Amino acid sequence: MKDREIVVENLVKSYPGKVKVTAVDGVNFRVDEGKIFGFLGPNGAGKSTTIKILTTLALPTSGRALVGGFDVVNQATEVRRVAGVALQEIGIDPLMKSMELLVLQGRLFGASKSAATARAKELLELVQLSNAVNRQASTYSGGMRRRLDLAMALVHQPKILFLDEPTTGLDPISRRDVWGEVRRLNRELGITIFLTTQYLEEADELADTVAIIVAGQIAAEGSPAKLKAAMGKESINLIFDTPELAEKGRSTLEHTGDRLQLDRETVRLYLSKAAGSIPTVVTQLQNAGLAPISLTLTQPTLDDVFLQVTGQRLVATEVAQLKSTRSNRRVEVNK
Amino acid sequence: MNTKTLDIAASRPVAKKPLSLPVHIYLLVVRSLTSLLRTPEALLPPIAISIFFLVIYQSTLGKAAGFIPGIGGSYLGFILPLSIVSGSLSGSGIAAQNLVRDIERGYFDKLLLTPVHRAALLLAPILAGAVILGVQAAIVVAVGLLLGLQPATGFLGLLAVVGLGVLLGIGFAGFTVSAALGSGSAAATQGASFLFFPLTFLAPTFVPLALLSGWLEVAAKLNPITYVLEAMRALLNKGWDGNAISTSILACLALAVAMYALAVFALSVRTRRN
Repeated sequence: MKDREIVVENLVKSYPGKVKVTAVDGVNFRVDEGKIFGFLGPNGAGKSTTIKILTTLALPTSGRALVGGFDVVNQATEVRRVAGVALQEIGIDPLMKSMELLVLQGRLFGASKSAATARAKELLELVQLSNAVNRQASTYSGGMRRRLDLAMALVHQPKILFLDEPTTGLDPISRRDVWGEVRRLNRELGITIFLTTQYLEEADELADTVAIIVAGQIAAEGSPAKLKAAMGKESINLIFDTPELAEKGRSTLEHTGDRLQLDRETVRLYLSKAAGSIPTVVTQLQNAGLAPISLTLTQPTLDDVFLQVTGQRLVATEVAQLKSTRSNRRVEVNK
Repeated sequence: MNTKTLDIAASRPVAKKPLSLPVHIYLLVVRSLTSLLRTPEALLPPIAISIFFLVIYQSTLGKAAGFIPGIGGSYLGFILPLSIVSGSLSGSGIAAQNLVRDIERGYFDKLLLTPVHRAALLLAPILAGAVILGVQAAIVVAVGLLLGLQPATGFLGLLAVVGLGVLLGIGFAGFTVSAALGSGSAAATQGASFLFFPLTFLAPTFVPLALLSGWLEVAAKLNPITYVLEAMRALLNKGWDGNAISTSILACLALAVAMYALAVFALSVRTRRN
């Protein structure tokens, strides 16, 4: 059944100007019906641009994208009918009440007043806002607004749902709420979900397939389990006092294990039998006069996949990015 | 996937045919007004300023008006139209501010993702603004009556005065809405509503048109406000002047059509998928 699929072929989006910026650079992927697809990447990697193209808010420079079998360039109206969208910036008028917003949205999609009202009630129940129907959205918490925005995206019963960083800026409890909602929509209604996220945990938790996008290109794609398995190895993680000591540790252990990674104070040593190698590693470090402040053993995580693919650690930069994007976000959206 | 749940989802009523343009306009006007009425602090200043000027003009110039030839009736009937016109100017920004807020908060994008008629996105804020202006003008007229205004054309004449004020305001609103769509910025929209302010004075503002000369006379004759003031003054102080009324309506329509065209252009720029 084609009407719940997303097919993207050689998608390119570049902005002309003095310095030509290519935000999306030849992206290919496919989302099968009823699946959750996680689009993972740091800020500015091209996630939001891709979602804007797929939801008809922006045109691609070249390439092709089909959403529910409809071309995003030539069949924008049809795409809007099959796709629901919750953008990164919550798109609600805070002076309006949730019921008013949902009924209006439904009516603009062509529903009669009674049908729109019935649908609004149903959706408010679905996103658990039934007891806040007659309050202006300005009195809602961040999580409640996010859920209302989700309900707005579902008014016309989309077959495919696009969520652009649905949990950015939410506290952990609200984040869990949204995750639960996304899973329910997928399982109970069979809605195909395309979601972008900066959070590895989120992709790991929700997505059937994950694609990692870096600098406009897909660097890795597969199920979380497959991606982690591809890493293959367990690792010994050593944390030193300073990056300089970590560098010394790295050169000491260069010939131990299969692969080494250095990230500031942390050295990661990938081996097939990590636990059995601990004595060797410790002895080598002692001989070099090095004493790590921590030594742990880990199974591969999506974070490792990300680090290997991109050469950078997503989590480490997340806090700093969150701080800088809070102030920038509005500007970005208005462009 | 479970096909049974799929069937349940598909069986719910989904309307396929979009509603007509008037329905979309109606829905969005109601939305704008609902939102506007929840911020009364934005609605009150224009009314307060209109009333303030009316009282000030009447008390400072009312006595001296006898020295100006061609007032043709009471000074209150001569100056009240100015108060309504400046109200139309300052009030025309209200709806555009509401639109800018929608753009800034991403709600406008949400509307763009529905099959809403594009014309409704333009006309709704303009018409919502017109409703506000009508109420505002009616309040100014009521204050005028309290101050002793005796309209030459009675109640119907007062309705016509309010109607002309609204019609003029629709043209101005077309301009501020264009600024809102073009800039997406609250400050620029605010600035745009001030651009029309000097126009109020390039007109027979304080003296009749016959007393203006030179470049000011030329400017006044090109200014639609002139014809609106003339018609309103005739309605309040002289009587039904078919010529003045039709000229003022034409002037307002010309302004409104030009500004609507500008707004259509601004919307196409805003919604261009680039």
